[in-house]
Amino acid sequence: MTELTAPNVVASPTSSDRRRKLLQNLLRGERPYMLYIAFVILLVVFSLSSPWFLSVDNFLNIGRQTTLVSIIAVGMTFVIIARQIDLSVASTLALSGMAAALAMSQVNNSWVVGAVAGLGTGALVGLLNGILTTQLSIPSFLVTLGTLSMARGLAMMVTNTKPVIITNETYFAIFGEGTFLGMPVPIAWTLAAMIVGILLLHYNVFGRRIYAVGGNPTAALYSGINTKWVTTAAFVLTGTLAGLAALVLSARSHAARPDVVQGMELDVIAAVILGGCSLFGGRGYILGTLFGSLIIGTLNNGLVLLGVSSPMQLVIKGAIIVAAVAFTKR
Amino acid sequence: MEPSGSVAAQPRPPTPLVMVNAINKRFGGVRALRDVNLEVRAGEVHALLGENGAGKSTLIKILSGVHAYDSGTIEIAGRPVAFDSPAKSREAGIAVVYQDLSLVESLSVADNLLLGREPRGRFGFVRKRELMAQASAFLTQLGIPLDIKATVGSLPFAYRQMTEIAKALMGEVRLLILDEPTSSLTSDEVRILFDAIGKVTRRGVGVIYVTHRLNEVFEISQRVTVLRDGANAGTFVTADTDMKRLVNAIVGSDRLAPAAVRAQPQAPRSVDASPVLSLSDVSNDRLHAVELSVLKGEIHGLAGLIGSGRTEILETVFGLRSVESGTFEIDGRRWSPRNPADAIDQGIALVPEDRHVQGLVLDHSIERNVTLSRLPYFSRWGWMQQGAATRRAETAIGKLAVKAQGASSLVRTLSGGNQQKVVFGKWNDPRPRVLLLDEPTVGVDVGAREEIYGVIRQAVRDGTGVFLVSSDLVELIELCDRISVIVDGRVARVLVRGEIDDAEELHHLLQMLQASGQSAAKDALQELPA
Repeated sequence: MTELTAPNVVASPTSSDRRRKLLQNLLRGERPYMLYIAFVILLVVFSLSSPWFLSVDNFLNIGRQTTLVSIIAVGMTFVIIARQIDLSVASTLALSGMAAALAMSQVNNSWVVGAVAGLGTGALVGLLNGILTTQLSIPSFLVTLGTLSMARGLAMMVTNTKPVIITNETYFAIFGEGTFLGMPVPIAWTLAAMIVGILLLHYNVFGRRIYAVGGNPTAALYSGINTKWVTTAAFVLTGTLAGLAALVLSARSHAARPDVVQGMELDVIAAVILGGCSLFGGRGYILGTLFGSLIIGTLNNGLVLLGVSSPMQLVIKGAIIVAAVAFTKR
Repeated sequence: MEPSGSVAAQPRPPTPLVMVNAINKRFGGVRALRDVNLEVRAGEVHALLGENGAGKSTLIKILSGVHAYDSGTIEIAGRPVAFDSPAKSREAGIAVVYQDLSLVESLSVADNLLLGREPRGRFGFVRKRELMAQASAFLTQLGIPLDIKATVGSLPFAYRQMTEIAKALMGEVRLLILDEPTSSLTSDEVRILFDAIGKVTRRGVGVIYVTHRLNEVFEISQRVTVLRDGANAGTFVTADTDMKRLVNAIVGSDRLAPAAVRAQPQAPRSVDASPVLSLSDVSNDRLHAVELSVLKGEIHGLAGLIGSGRTEILETVFGLRSVESGTFEIDGRRWSPRNPADAIDQGIALVPEDRHVQGLVLDHSIERNVTLSRLPYFSRWGWMQQGAATRRAETAIGKLAVKAQGASSLVRTLSGGNQQKVVFGKWNDPRPRVLLLDEPTVGVDVGAREEIYGVIRQAVRDGTGVFLVSSDLVELIELCDRISVIVDGRVARVLVRGEIDDAEELHHLLQMLQASGQSAAKDALQELPA
């Protein structure tokens, strides 16, 4: 009984229809307006309840704290629109950071080598995820559950769980501590990732293919699209961005640690879903994802400023995510 | 509401089984039904016709208790009834078989038939043997040839539908509503269905038969009611009317397609003698030494039963199935299809059997769907040229007369016929060398069907070669220059236009060829995993 209840007659919309339509658009429309409203409400609530919240320093703080989630969430947006999921991103980040630090310590302490090793490792994990998912037809939930564990294990094995110190000043400046056009570089990298994401998803043929593969994989195949390749590319993009996040994190802490950001994949996925992506594929926006991760970051920050205990923070965060998704689902 | 005998002098017909009086129904600002009347007698097959959106589905949903109605009355056997739920309607003896089926695919036919009323023993365990016996006895009585042990999900669509119909007939049924039951059945299976309907009506059950196939109306129904724009457009005694009158009632004389897309029946066209695509000795898991060719500007029909390999031939040409042996030539060059992208590069286009699953991304716009198969034409260095894409979609909407608000309308909101036109729009430009059509007019209303025929004829006038798979034999005869009959993955017979000009004749030929090969029903059932 999936047929629409209203017959296919084009009627002139009455004003009450139009009002209802507007409300519907606000709540669950193509673009996640509700999300922007929620973000503003969150800002107002925290500003009123904490004197420290509304300050440039604190906003930069939120920006910095959300960079890792935001950067990876750009890739995750592609993966989720393509009707897949990637649970391995946090482990990939850890492994890529180790690869970058170790490569630098082995080869001339060169930041270029470090960056290539970090990004390359992320891309490789993504490639593995993509190939296993598409060639062996294993659900990506299971594939990436496996690589989540493998990548984390490898990251710990290479140094027997010890951190690797980084000493290259240029590396720190480019990825962690410098400024670019007045912005702290982590925020600049986030913006760069967002812009690339927007261009690829909304202005490139690749984006069209991603939407089609997620919206209806069979129809995409019948339209001559190499669905396996497109899906794999989404995983590679996500892995590479996890590598970029690893560079940012390790440059900020002057070291790579194998046990960092455990469980962060959940924040990333929550950000993307909050941002209006459908877990059933075919729908989503990069800008929505940005706001999704900002909401998660703001929540983390604001709840700390309010002195909410960290167990309680988890409960509140979870409840807000469920409520938001319930509101925005189709 | 006592029936009084002295009002009219003339003899009154027996109280009708179902009387629908002046039903009105609004959805928001749209009047879906306006003073609609319908009368069905016991033991009658009453056909219900109308274009998509004419109100058939709404009327059925009101009768089945899914929708409430705003005003009017419904009487069953002279007694007014009011349904507020599907359960109430079912209690009153109304059973509906919808186009989209409601079976549990992981269970067997028998399990599905007796779902929720399984014979139980002590401790509530299902008596499997008794269940099987009941299901088997019931199917034998109906004369429906189904393997009760087969898992429904593994059955071809036609057999799933028969399971659904059989399920609807279990219990006390007085009115059976069939919503386009034959849209995916082959002619043999239609025969079985009609036999089953005959058995049911002889027991006094009334049948409302919704269809787009007019020839079936004449074959099976006693009366016809036509709806147009939510209102009655006439009720006819089938024996006293003809195809033309019905089509007029359905379409309304004022609403024919623009001249550009209207079909030009039998327009003289020159069929170029050079084959644009030929297959020789092609075999794979479903095909055996297939020899076929299509000429420039020719429509080559592929007839056969479901599971005969018709669809598989198209899928193989389109690179969706691997080829084990044999050769392909396109415009005289040797070529072998590897995947759909490769086939599209060669100028081959496919309008697939199931537009919802294979043809369209329903939640995306017309523009996104139309451009999906031609993305390289709307991009430079990989970057989309949005203006060109939108213009292209608007051109397609205009050329194919798609009824939609604009290029950004979601395909899901369109009617079946308009959705199918969007699928055609995917391949409109550049003109394909070879157009593969798989059941192009299934679930499409009469007006849109004529328009689609016009599109096909225009394509062949422009020099495209067309392979047309259809279960609608009238359609094959009307459109095709040649018809190849496919039996069991082989080309059993090739007919040239003029050799056969009657659907009945073609039907007999199909049956004969099928019988001389292997029995179709046995075949289809044997293919099922045990």
